[in-house]
Amino acid sequence: MRPDVLSLVVRGYRTMAYVTGTMLCVLVFVCIPLQVWGNNAKPADVVGTIHGFLYIIYIVVAFAMTRAVRMKVASPGTIIVLLAGTIPVLTFVVERWVSRRHIAPALAGVAPSEQPVLR
Amino acid sequence: MTGAQPRPRWLFLVSPRWLAWHAFAAAAAWGMLWLGDWQFHRAESGNALSWAYTIEWPIFTIFGVIFWAKTIVDEWRRQSAPAAGLLSASALADDGLDLPAGAHTPGLADDEPTDDPELAAYNAYLARLNSPQAPNYRMARNSRPAPR
Repeated sequence: MRPDVLSLVVRGYRTMAYVTGTMLCVLVFVCIPLQVWGNNAKPADVVGTIHGFLYIIYIVVAFAMTRAVRMKVASPGTIIVLLAGTIPVLTFVVERWVSRRHIAPALAGVAPSEQPVLR
Repeated sequence: MTGAQPRPRWLFLVSPRWLAWHAFAAAAAWGMLWLGDWQFHRAESGNALSWAYTIEWPIFTIFGVIFWAKTIVDEWRRQSAPAAGLLSASALADDGLDLPAGAHTPGLADDEPTDDPELAAYNAYLARLNSPQAPNYRMARNSRPAPR
């Protein structure tokens, strides 16, 4: 894996993790309450559909990331990363965990100078 | 191959664990296709929102099948890796998680010879991470101070 490809895949994964995670939070914490208590199903329909398609992109990018940092396919870590896009807030937690556990070592191993500054 | 393995390589596919996995994958694929079909009928009977799900479920099914295939390819590669040195233990374990550190290094199981210095350095790094002296969770933690 070339370092530029690796960092591109990682960037794609992080972007999708945050976009998908945010959209899911909006869906679960704003739109669904509106649907249940506000009798307005329209936002949930729209955001739900958007989240569905974002999740498709997320799952592809996230899987590419797990391959790029050489996580085992049939491992709990990979499965949790893939499923995180369907559980509210979990994408953010998982993104931090996978960054520390897998991405940072992979980036450090390939190109120490390119290791991003993590907050 | 060193010829140390008496059983054929594909035999892992019919172990109870893998059979359970195949069954789960088949059930999941069938379930997702069924959901897609259900959404298609809902869409046809006027629920416009269901068109989105009619498209999504087959895509998830395709992804599930790819994921299942990748698990097999992954295991196949691990089994066909040279059974020497560090890698010998990987053939014994279905899952690297319970092995002592250093016994299981999937990153080294590459097919191509590593004449690429970058790749060689990366593999050396992986080996280092997996060595008992430096469990990689510890190294990963050290490389980044915990927040708070």
